[in-house]
Amino acid sequence: MKKIICLALTAAVSLILIQSCSKSGAGDNNNNTGSSFDRKAMLTNISTNIIIPAYTSYQAAAVSLDAAVVTFNTTPTLANLTALQNAFTATYKQWQSTSVYDFGPAADVNLRVNTNTYPVDVNQINANVSLGTYNPQLLSNLAAKGLPALDYLLFNLGGDNAAVLALFTTDSKAANRKTYLAALSAELKTNATTVLNAWSGSYKTTFLNATGTDASSSTGYLVNQLVYDYEVLKNFEVGIPAGSQSMGVTYPTKVQAYYSKISLQLTLLHLQAIQNLYLGANGSGFDDYLVAANAKYNGGSLNDAIKAQFTTAAAKLQTLTDPLSANITNNPTAVMAAYTELQKLTVLLKTDMTSSLGIAITFGDNDGD
Amino acid sequence: MPDTLTARINTLIKAPVHIAPLAVLRIAFGSIMLVSTLRFILKGWIYAFYLKPPFHFTFYGFDWMKVPPGNTLYVLFGLLVITAIMVTVGLFYRAAIITFFVCFTYVELLDKTTYLNHYYFISVMAFLMIWVPAHRYFSVDVWRKPKLAVTSIPGWTINIFKLQLVLVYFFAGLSKLNYDWLIAAMPLKIWLPANSNMPVIGGLLTQVWVAYIFSWFGAIFDLFIGFLLLSNRYRRWAYVLVLIFHLSTGLFFKIGMFPYIMILVTLIFFSEKTHIRIINFLKLLLPRANSTIPNKAYHLPVFKTQFIYGILILHFIIQLIMPFRFLMYPGKLYWTEEGYRFSWRVMLMEKGGTIFFHVKDPASGTKTEVINSQYLNTFQENQMATQPDMILQYAHFLAAEYQKKGIKNPIVTTDSYVTLNGSGSRLYIDSTVNLATQQEGFGHKKWIRPFSTTSK
Repeated sequence: MKKIICLALTAAVSLILIQSCSKSGAGDNNNNTGSSFDRKAMLTNISTNIIIPAYTSYQAAAVSLDAAVVTFNTTPTLANLTALQNAFTATYKQWQSTSVYDFGPAADVNLRVNTNTYPVDVNQINANVSLGTYNPQLLSNLAAKGLPALDYLLFNLGGDNAAVLALFTTDSKAANRKTYLAALSAELKTNATTVLNAWSGSYKTTFLNATGTDASSSTGYLVNQLVYDYEVLKNFEVGIPAGSQSMGVTYPTKVQAYYSKISLQLTLLHLQAIQNLYLGANGSGFDDYLVAANAKYNGGSLNDAIKAQFTTAAAKLQTLTDPLSANITNNPTAVMAAYTELQKLTVLLKTDMTSSLGIAITFGDNDGD
Repeated sequence: MPDTLTARINTLIKAPVHIAPLAVLRIAFGSIMLVSTLRFILKGWIYAFYLKPPFHFTFYGFDWMKVPPGNTLYVLFGLLVITAIMVTVGLFYRAAIITFFVCFTYVELLDKTTYLNHYYFISVMAFLMIWVPAHRYFSVDVWRKPKLAVTSIPGWTINIFKLQLVLVYFFAGLSKLNYDWLIAAMPLKIWLPANSNMPVIGGLLTQVWVAYIFSWFGAIFDLFIGFLLLSNRYRRWAYVLVLIFHLSTGLFFKIGMFPYIMILVTLIFFSEKTHIRIINFLKLLLPRANSTIPNKAYHLPVFKTQFIYGILILHFIIQLIMPFRFLMYPGKLYWTEEGYRFSWRVMLMEKGGTIFFHVKDPASGTKTEVINSQYLNTFQENQMATQPDMILQYAHFLAAEYQKKGIKNPIVTTDSYVTLNGSGSRLYIDSTVNLATQQEGFGHKKWIRPFSTTSK
């Protein structure tokens, strides 16, 4: 027996010598002194100070929007249209701080796709108006509902509010259009209220107690949704309209909020919201988590790299102006330059952040690779 | 010395031993396979991993393996369930274990996204079980045909499993003898703190010294446990270590059924007395279990024995060579993963990547980024992003897709970044190389950028 063990030892030692002993970056400069990071404190901060306030504001905005629709439908005047448009813009802006949390109660009602699937299907919307019936459950109505559908119904590309008003007053389908409008804002309000109630109720406890790092833990949800929602921003708000996925052919009409022309404003708010989640606002967030884990990037700290790239990406976006669709038509190169900077942040968030924290991104078993 | 060694080997192969350990192995393996298969089905993985994605990463040389149409795969998994039960109870054993082996291996070959060492291990175990008379004792087959019953079998029928297990552990241990694992305590330094929410020990898991203890204990355990299990003197304690090691890894890491499979199959190391006791205990649970059977030895015609010897020798030669094939490739193994699979390398790296594919029309010069989620599920995309052979396969698939769309000789390039054991992401694949024209093969892939500790 001893002989076999000796033999094994010799073989092992000789193999250490053969095996590549080269190290993977983090080795020597990693004077890690224990990443005793309190995930529960982070979850508490993020849910109390970011998520619940975001849903509270969004629900309030959706309630006001629905009220503005009711007022407008009862008294369709130019003044009420402007008020409704303002309520819409406020809701769309607040949605940017809300879309990233598409797990738990939001996932239960498919909040993100039900609220903000674009580009809208104009034919489907017009068909719904003509028919006078609208079934929110139909898959074909996904691109004919939510904020993008309101965007189409409430705004005229030329900015002519009188023309919009006519569609709700003198047009032969005016009554149908009003019914549709009311159904859309009511659905937004209902969904927002359902999700807010769940968060104010029992879900917060569920959220705070799932302190692991697997794919169904709260940290796992936050990381996966942060990465996913960021991809939505990069691809749908910027890349696809700018032609990144279509052999350079641009699709300016595919931007978010094409008709109200607030696309860039929304994207900047969206980016800020994702950054805010990353930072945990002023409290414990993923920045602190990465610092505690001593995560490195290119010789420096990963947190610094991520924060710097958030700044760079935002700065590139700020060189553009609304309407974004016009920018895409006139200066696609500048839009693509912003896209490139956004892309760099994808790598840092999706690969570096996730890997440094050992967060599971899929549900399958693994071997550890 | 050579004489005694030959004699010793001869004993290990031919000396008659009691069949009980083999019957227990059959029951243990069959039942854990039943649980494992049911778990896979209930998790909805047949659909998620095989039916839903339109594209699959086949193994080199197995491109002809396609996910069967319609419900065939469900039927196949049904067969796996039935044959696992048949193996457990020992009913039409040979047919059952062969069917199990073929179906299981077939499913594994469909997509290397799901490759796990433990699935490979199951294929290997099922393969070995084809050649042994595990149904000749305490089985339905014996109850059906009492003539089949035997009590003693030649040593090789049991020792091949011990040898296989020793190899698995030992190679797993060898692969841990490297800088990252021993000196940097990576990837455990990342993985253990991720479990800091665990009750009682959670706080400890964030301590760096704990990561070192786990790393070193893991390496030493893997290297020596096989040998300790062989020794009569240390076996009990070794098995306690097996329990502690596998249960704790099962608790900390998302490794599915692997710990339980190992805990059950390592029972084979115990003496025949222990196994007879296990069988007697199982008999208590069965009212109609057959009473004592007369002593009878298993007999196999010489030509059959020699045929099986030939197969087993070939098998173990392959087993010995496979883990070393990485030596033929330049560069850092964890980075290139050339010669990585089928070598019992488990839990060694925290590797993550992001990859963007670009397809360019050489005629017009226009370029497009590919939405990977159009063709791949997240699992596939994540696995692909860090494995060059999968990247190449997907690039070829994209070239064909865009060819169909009317682009002649599309140029497929990538922008890919990978981080390995906390190194920070850096460029992985040479982004100037047109992967559409690169061939798959066993040679080194020159378009993998070398791993360097300084470059970005």
